[in-house]
Amino acid sequence: MGELQELARKLLADGAVKVVIGYEEGPRGVRPAFITTPKDADRLVFDERCVHNLTMYLTPTRKHIAALGKPAIIVKGCDTRSLAGLIRQSQVKRENVVVIGARCGGVLKDPSVKAAIAEDTVADRCRGCTIREPRLVDHLVGEPKPAPPGKSLVDQKIDELDAMTPEQRLAFWHEQLSRCIRCHACREVCPNCFCVRCLADKAEPLESSAHLRGNMAWHMVRAMHQAGRCVDCGECERVCPADIPLRLLNRKIARVIEARFGHRPDDDPESTAPIGSFQPEDGQEFIR
Amino acid sequence: MTRKAFITESDVRALAADLIAAGTRVVAPGRVGTPLGERIEYRVANKVDEILLGQDEPARSLKDFFLPPTDVILAWQEKKDQVELTPVSSTFAPQVIIGAKPCDAAALEIVDKVMDWDYHDELWFGRRAATTIITLACEGGDRSCFCTAVGLEPSGTRGSDVLLTPAAGGYSAEILTDKGEKLVAAHAVRFGADKGADEARAFAEKGRKRVDANLGLKPAEVRKWLAGHFDDAFWKSIALACHGCGACASVCPTCHCFDIVDECEGLGCGVRRRNWDTCQTAKFTMHGSGHNPRADQSSRMRQRVMHKFCIYPERFGEILCTGCGRCARVCPGGMDILEVVSKVNEMACGGAK
Amino acid sequence: MNLYQPYLMRVDEIIDETVDTRTLKLAFKDPAVAESFTFKAGQFGEYSVFGAGECTFCVASSPTRKGYIECSFKKVGRVTSAMRDVDVGATMGFRGPYGNSFPLDKMEGKSVVFIAGGIGLAPVRCVIWNVLDLRDRFKDVTIVYGARTVGDLVYKRELAQWAARKDVKLWQTVDPGGETPDWKGEIGFVPTIVGKAAPSPKDAYAIVCGPPVMIKFTLPVLAKLGFSDETIYTTLENRMKCGVGKCGRCNIGPVYVCKDGPVFTAAEIKKLPQEF
Repeated sequence: MGELQELARKLLADGAVKVVIGYEEGPRGVRPAFITTPKDADRLVFDERCVHNLTMYLTPTRKHIAALGKPAIIVKGCDTRSLAGLIRQSQVKRENVVVIGARCGGVLKDPSVKAAIAEDTVADRCRGCTIREPRLVDHLVGEPKPAPPGKSLVDQKIDELDAMTPEQRLAFWHEQLSRCIRCHACREVCPNCFCVRCLADKAEPLESSAHLRGNMAWHMVRAMHQAGRCVDCGECERVCPADIPLRLLNRKIARVIEARFGHRPDDDPESTAPIGSFQPEDGQEFIR
Repeated sequence: MTRKAFITESDVRALAADLIAAGTRVVAPGRVGTPLGERIEYRVANKVDEILLGQDEPARSLKDFFLPPTDVILAWQEKKDQVELTPVSSTFAPQVIIGAKPCDAAALEIVDKVMDWDYHDELWFGRRAATTIITLACEGGDRSCFCTAVGLEPSGTRGSDVLLTPAAGGYSAEILTDKGEKLVAAHAVRFGADKGADEARAFAEKGRKRVDANLGLKPAEVRKWLAGHFDDAFWKSIALACHGCGACASVCPTCHCFDIVDECEGLGCGVRRRNWDTCQTAKFTMHGSGHNPRADQSSRMRQRVMHKFCIYPERFGEILCTGCGRCARVCPGGMDILEVVSKVNEMACGGAK
Repeated sequence: MNLYQPYLMRVDEIIDETVDTRTLKLAFKDPAVAESFTFKAGQFGEYSVFGAGECTFCVASSPTRKGYIECSFKKVGRVTSAMRDVDVGATMGFRGPYGNSFPLDKMEGKSVVFIAGGIGLAPVRCVIWNVLDLRDRFKDVTIVYGARTVGDLVYKRELAQWAARKDVKLWQTVDPGGETPDWKGEIGFVPTIVGKAAPSPKDAYAIVCGPPVMIKFTLPVLAKLGFSDETIYTTLENRMKCGVGKCGRCNIGPVYVCKDGPVFTAAEIKKLPQEF
């Protein structure tokens, strides 16, 4: 039994936690797992296919997970940014969760196929990763891994979009968002989408129809609501059944936030976001 | 009444070209480029070379062309203190689908049952009547395919007007319906005398064996178990990873649940729309009072499985699932209908297979 | 005209029942439809305000009153808010009637006990007037109606009419604490008053509509009085959209409320999965 499995087994056997939220082998590659008995701990796996950000299972929206009892959760470095966000936004109490950090050297684009991390197989969001060793943890497992190769193509694409005329850019987004079927999978997997009742689930003002007008409104509202909060975990884009490049939208806004407010959502639950804090040097030309 | 013929691949394309030239809408699998890569979808073909006659499964099913994600069902306009309604026509221009998956064609016939349940859904049947479906036999998909477990076949003819099965030099064509006959007669020059039937049989047999290996089911036992185990602890165990996103329902060829909403299109005018909806979301069954009969994700997952493998079979004598495997491929939580149903099957058959 | 196209209705009258409950009287704009439209007590329809959407309610008026229908509703969402904003003369939509009905033919020659709480009187009121308009075909008519407070009682004018009739036994009640100084009715929860009214189960049917908790505690009282589950009828309300068995959201296990209901006997309901 490996280090991770042994740790999970012990946490469950000692009664320190009731469930370990991690990864297991599924019929189509690695998938989220909820281990509730010590003997099942050896089902846990952790490797470069573990792309999923599991922290959204900790939000109050997941009543069926909360009902299992105190959780331990396996996180990658990048996932701890989401976790910090949930703590910062009072969705999770740090002391109510045992955090098992796994050292990571990048995950794959396609989690259903085993492969080595390489320039052409690594998920784009891992490129340039600065948080391969999670810090917001109670336990740390795994060996240090080398940095994932390559440079973010999303940033390149954003630069290309920024260079376009507004008309060209709008045409690009029209093409992308016309594919949306409004399943809202992007929302459901997002650790930041914990609203008790999403604006999109109300009869007004957002139109629920999968036409361009409704789709544009939905994605703009969602993107704005992510401003200063999105950690670019890429889950929304990964799960989109219509392959809409949602990271382009969220990362663009993150870049604006960083440029204007010097803020990038990090793994420190104590840090403050622009939306909830005021700095004299914040740009305020919009109220002049 | 079925009759056999033969058609070469270039004649399939020529047939499509003739149809497009004549102004008929042709829908076929094709590549859709996105910044995230290429995907294969059923789409309206504007040029013949866009048509893919391969084995790849389109990411979404054919239902988009019969029950669109959003569809206007009524338009209204205020006229002084009156309201005028503009009915939506339930007569549609002819469309021909080329290269449909047999499971997707079969799904349409399965959904026909509910769409005709005492009340006849004119918009569904209007599109059904206007459509001729040329299916391309399937070599058996991937590990998530289980059509043979739900009574279908990778070379099945259900729901098709013409079935093409690969054979040397082209396709053995089985003409199955009057609609198929009409289409073939109108384009007789594209079809030759029957040949390759033996090859087609072998192709079908190979596909069947391949899918058979994925899952064996006793549907009647499954249904009986489901009917008697509404409160089984099993349901609590299977939905833990479920995000309730409903991506499964959106790619499902048989999920047909919908919402009806009004939208304003300007001052004093608007439309009523029918939009896809899914039992996997909390708001689907939420009462105005806030009470929700299906309050947790496990009850929503149970509803999806029950609807497909128990309720629909009881009502209409059909499993509301074609075993296409799309829901398993798309699920962000790694949930797998094949795994769920095979567990139920095991419990239903007392562990003995 | 497709399945989802509504009849156009003219709002003829608006009656405020309580602070938050309102009744609309709707007349068919098309004289031919007004002439030909029929329904049965217990059936429902999809009422719409154009631009806001559709909402499901039973028809609250009696099938014996031709040419119009009534619906009573509480403002809870987008459509009911819009329905509160309509004026007399405005145009609305109606699709229906849908669903099954109370078996009035079976009830003929028998006694009928009506038990309702709060706005649950709406579907019951439809049957009450149906029975009263054909009064000589039925034996005893008993009505037990309660609400949280005096202010929450709906159809007050009609309650007075029923109270004045010699051929109707009316028990009105409000929950303890809900009475006003001049309240002359009973004080107590509906199930308690049903026990006090003690209608005879002999040759009798009971129709019970109201909040789930009221129904839950009324059923044992009726059982104790000797009513069998087969003689007790109620209606189920589930969220609906199409009303015609297609949109897939109102089912309770294998039972579709829109097609198999909304009227069920207590015996039928006890067989259902507990998911409503």
